Amino acid sequence: MDTVPVPKAVGEMRAGDHLLLGYGADEERETVVATFLLDGLASGHRGLLLGPADLPADLALTFLESRGCAVDDELAAGRLTVDPHLATSDGLWDLDEVIRRETRRAVGDGYLGLRVSMEVMRGQAGKGLKTLHDSELLLEPVFASLPVLGICQYDRRVFDEGELAPLDGLHQGRVAADLVWHDELLSITRTFAPPGLALAGEVDDTNVTALARALHAETDRARARPVNGMRTRIDLHDLRFIDVGALRLLVFAGGALAASGGTLVLHGVAPHIQRLMRVTGWDRVPGLLVEQTHL
Amino acid sequence: MSRTRLVHQALCYGSDDEFLDGTLTFVRDGLDAGDTVLAVVASHNIGLLGEALGHRSDEVEFVDADDWYGSPSRTLGRYNDYCAAHDTDETGRRRRVRVIGEPVWSDRTAFEVREWMRYESLLNIAFAGTGHWILCPYDTRALPVGIIRSAVRTHPELALGPRQSAYCGRYLDPADFYAECDTTRPPVLPAGRDDVPFTRGRSAHVRRAVSAYARALGVPEPLTHDMVSAVHEAVVNSVRHGGGRGVLRLRSDSDHVICEISDTGTATASPPPPPPFPGHLPPDPRAANGHGMWVVRQLSDLATETLDPSGSVVRLYFRRSAAL
Repeated sequence: MDTVPVPKAVGEMRAGDHLLLGYGADEERETVVATFLLDGLASGHRGLLLGPADLPADLALTFLESRGCAVDDELAAGRLTVDPHLATSDGLWDLDEVIRRETRRAVGDGYLGLRVSMEVMRGQAGKGLKTLHDSELLLEPVFASLPVLGICQYDRRVFDEGELAPLDGLHQGRVAADLVWHDELLSITRTFAPPGLALAGEVDDTNVTALARALHAETDRARARPVNGMRTRIDLHDLRFIDVGALRLLVFAGGALAASGGTLVLHGVAPHIQRLMRVTGWDRVPGLLVEQTHL
Repeated sequence: MSRTRLVHQALCYGSDDEFLDGTLTFVRDGLDAGDTVLAVVASHNIGLLGEALGHRSDEVEFVDADDWYGSPSRTLGRYNDYCAAHDTDETGRRRRVRVIGEPVWSDRTAFEVREWMRYESLLNIAFAGTGHWILCPYDTRALPVGIIRSAVRTHPELALGPRQSAYCGRYLDPADFYAECDTTRPPVLPAGRDDVPFTRGRSAHVRRAVSAYARALGVPEPLTHDMVSAVHEAVVNSVRHGGGRGVLRLRSDSDHVICEISDTGTATASPPPPPPFPGHLPPDPRAANGHGMWVVRQLSDLATETLDPSGSVVRLYFRRSAAL
């Protein structure tokens, strides 16, 4: 049973938020952290990256370049900073002190707040994660009293859910990438491992364009990702209704992907939607693969 | 006799011998030619034909007609799927599908009988582009004379024993037969207190109304999903082609749930004409449109439609104890 709480979208974060990001793919981490830092620049905040390695600052921030950020300019102006503090063996010990000091310094430099993104390494966690827990525990009062927002990144390929669950209680919850679309009927989210989209709710004539846009962007990304054989997975597990017009869009997206050697994988298709696909013959068109799942 | 275009024949038989005379050679010729042979006939006739064929009966796929002929549109969809799956051999070469299709006419209402006659006529269009051969037995001992008479109007040919046939002089063009079927149509449902008006962008509201109605009737969940989808597609069609607004009426009796979707029509002087045989012909999966009405018919047990620029009415019938 999946007991992970509903995450907060990174775009909804406010001062005082101290959230946990459990990511399963580098693209997920980069997407969330980039949004977090770029939102910070737009909000008059300073962005601070506490990385796990002692990398040159511009190298540590290359993932922002592709998202339209002039990294060198921001670093030179001091709006973005990179600190290798966590790369040291005892970087976790005085983490709260570092963030308290950096927040005060940012405010002193005229910023409206500080956004700090931290990557926690497995090796630093200490015996039975004790060091890590103590460190996270000390952070909470800092976030409660100063104009600072933070994301603690944990690689789910390194930390398992059993290790992350107790850490949830030391944060105000989890953070995830922004929703691609949200209206009263439908929400579309990006998934990263495997890459694709998750649809929840209902797609009909009113929001089919939102689906078209999301699919288009996603198939573009798939084409830029040759390592995976351009498989894009659409998770329909929480989709209650889809009409013929929207289903046809999935068929067209699958066909477009197939033309460049890819596949659109439909995951978690409910029996009544599978029936719709059988009736239209869309269960056997090129480029579309209905993944058999236990529902 | 080597024929390459669609052949659709009625076989009127009055005895077991006449049935075998008309079907046995048909099957053997097909097997000899490497055709796929499917026999969907009354259970008694499965026994007859199977025995007469002997060991070759293994090469024929037999289906009891009672298990196959659920509703006209679904049956057409089923034959379409079957032929699509069997019209090539292992090497990918085209092969003919021979079907012996004996519709079930007993225990049908007058309305259902008419829709099955329409179905027989529509087969000529649905499979027009194929080289398949459909032979439809009519049991003259059991069937009312009106049904027998309709056979020569819906089949271009009458089969007369082994390898013998005659053109039906009274065969009617399917478009004309379709129009004739439409002349008797149930009257529009009267307005009711629970009518669900709809406008552009309000299909979710209609879907809620349909599922609430089904829930209150205790309709099983799979059937509720079918009703919601079929009504939704009809509503979206109404909004797109019928002036952007209309009303849904939900009724039920002991046998059926009835959903009627009507609209007020378009204001334009010369709207495009509605497609011929709307939703009856299997659409190409790659086509940009034409799937909506097909889905409406495939998900409902019976559907009638009056598509008119001054206001259209689509009525859907769902059997409450859906057998198929």
